[in-house]
Amino acid sequence: MQSVESKILYNDRLAEGYFRLGLSWKTPEVKAGHFVMLRLSDGMDPLLRRPFGVFRVIGAKGKSTRGTGIELLYRVVGRGTTILSAKRPGESLGILGPLGNGFPAPQKGRKVVMVTGGMGIVPLYLLAQRLPEGTLLFGARSKKETFLLDEFRELGIKIKTATEDGSAGVKGFVTALLEKELSTDTVVYACGPVGMLKAVSRLCLDAGVQCFVSLERSMACGIGVCLGCAVRTINHEARENRNYKMVCSDGPVFDGKDVDWELL
Amino acid sequence: MGTPLKKKLPKKPLEVAIAGLKFKNPVMTASGTFGYGAEFAPYTGLEKLGAIVVKGLSLYPRQGNPGPRIVETPCGMLNAIGLQNVGVDEFIEKKLPLLKDVKTHVIANIFGETIDDYMEVARRLDRVKGVSALEINISCPNVKKGGIVFGTDPQEAFRVVSAIRKSTSLPLITKLSPNVTDIKVMVKAAEDAGTDAISLINTLTGMVIDVERRRPVLATATGGLSGPAIRPVAVRMVWQAAQAAKVPLIGMGGIMNARDALEFIIAGAAAVQVGTASFIDPDAAAKVASGIEEYVQRHGVSVRELTGSLKLA
Ligand SMILES: Cc1cc2nc3c(=O)[nH]c(=O)nc-3n(C[C@H](O)[C@H](O)[C@H](O)COP(=O)(O)OP(=O)(O)OC[C@H]3O[C@@H](n4cnc5c(N)ncnc54)[C@H](O)[C@@H]3O)c2cc1C
Ligand SMILES: Cc1cc2nc3c(=O)[nH]c(=O)nc-3n(C[C@H](O)[C@H](O)[C@H](O)COP(=O)(O)O)c2cc1C
Ligand code: FES
Repeated sequence: MQSVESKILYNDRLAEGYFRLGLSWKTPEVKAGHFVMLRLSDGMDPLLRRPFGVFRVIGAKGKSTRGTGIELLYRVVGRGTTILSAKRPGESLGILGPLGNGFPAPQKGRKVVMVTGGMGIVPLYLLAQRLPEGTLLFGARSKKETFLLDEFRELGIKIKTATEDGSAGVKGFVTALLEKELSTDTVVYACGPVGMLKAVSRLCLDAGVQCFVSLERSMACGIGVCLGCAVRTINHEARENRNYKMVCSDGPVFDGKDVDWELL
Repeated sequence: MGTPLKKKLPKKPLEVAIAGLKFKNPVMTASGTFGYGAEFAPYTGLEKLGAIVVKGLSLYPRQGNPGPRIVETPCGMLNAIGLQNVGVDEFIEKKLPLLKDVKTHVIANIFGETIDDYMEVARRLDRVKGVSALEINISCPNVKKGGIVFGTDPQEAFRVVSAIRKSTSLPLITKLSPNVTDIKVMVKAAEDAGTDAISLINTLTGMVIDVERRRPVLATATGGLSGPAIRPVAVRMVWQAAQAAKVPLIGMGGIMNARDALEFIIAGAAAVQVGTASFIDPDAAAKVASGIEEYVQRHGVSVRELTGSLKLA
């Protein structure tokens, strides 16, 4: 964990409203599912840092791209990300991280199924890079919202898509695809909109399949001290079995069966 | 005539004395924004701080409020954490020992829902090695019972501070709420009850509404506003409190850098606390301390001399 200034290596438009951001960083070891907090402006408004997952580590293995560091992927949704999208290579950003627990590695022999939609794809790429094989189920409203699938294919990951309007893959929700993938030796990793995570988690619970979800909450500190990013969890062993965990420091990855979905 | 004679800077120009304690510099962390202290060790030099004020402690562990608990606002943030904490016993057993080699004061911030709660927490911290003073939070706006009543009613404030005074030999700092009409009345009540110092301000009650859903953004509807947005209000209240106070004041509210901290000191604060800024930069409080040092050298004036040095026309 460190708090440093980092140079922007590139900030390329990927699609309308989507960007890839390369940051120069003498990266401490990054696990799949880790995130960083970025200071997007030196001013007082927006005030707080913003959390972003790590998409991949760059330039690490000799065949250097445009520097050494990490690559993030973001969608412009508000003021902070709009400011970020206007930044140019050479400018610097405060970076705090790597933060969070990350995804636990799958046990030997488990069949890995990743489920995602939207920006949820970010932490799964780093996970996929480190897997011998696996399947990615991508859910979106339409074909327009599916992206990076070729990059997953290059990693040897099998891809299946579901779109609500049927413009790519099967028509319907990603959970319909998931149902067909579940067997007792499956482990599921999911990151995406909360409604999707809830459905995925329920499906896995019913099927007795282990499922890890990466959650998002508004954050102020990112390091477990403001207690702002709480989610309620269920401890199945304890009598006083409902309590709050911090998404930034206890998570962002949780076992789906431990999350109190009613409160999300 | 010519250049004015540069006054000789007194020894230890950053050192301040409050409640019978000496602080190496006037910069402390604000309760609830610095965890239990050790969490910040990877990011800052804890020994560079005048004091570490830890998260508010209650008699028993507290779960806190459902989420969302925070939302950003213009130049600030609202929080409704609900005073989640590990409880006083676990603090003493597990958290405090992590700071035992850190050469600075540790101040325990305490709160309760009843006067008996407050007294018992104070009693358990009394004579605990490593705790230099207590800061009494009578001002948290998030708890339905207790908090807000003690913080806004001078008689209640007097009752709770007097009771704690009898339960401990530790120096007492009473932390005041800004959600009152006349801060001087609250200053007087805390002083009459025997407080050794006063800190202010806690958060201002605020609210944000999601207009699409026509719902409050925070699960508790309202929360406490902090950050640079509240700084002018905080400086004004410290200045007003200084006109009534006999005991030293510790000022806070939106301090982001040394310049901001100096406003409070010039308005009448003997020391300052850095809160929300630590979320944005975990090294913020230490940077404020070094910035004050630079100012003190440049102006040839000690922090003690600066306190309350505001020039009015
Ligand atoms: C652990 C974690 C990892 C994340 N990883 C990524 C990532 O890899 N890529 C990425 O693009 N984003 C990611 N996010 C979300 C990202 O942090 C937010 O999109 C960003 O903070 C929005 O900032 P803003 O100032 O642009 O929006 P704001 O001005 O703060 O908000 C503008 C609008 O966007 C909405 N909004 C805010 N946060 C989110 C959110 N989390 N999801 C959807 N809408 C939101 C707000 O409700 C509001 O309507 C992650 C969040 C977390 C907690
Ligand atoms: C997330 C958060 C939690 C807080 N928790 C406490 C607390 O437990 N006890 C307390 O006395 N004040 C608490 N405060 C108030 C701060 O100590 C401080 O009085 C206030 O935030 C104003 O200072 P700032 O603008 O520098 O943050 C909290 C503030 C924030 C933002
Ligand atoms: S963001 Fe502060 S505790 Fe998680």
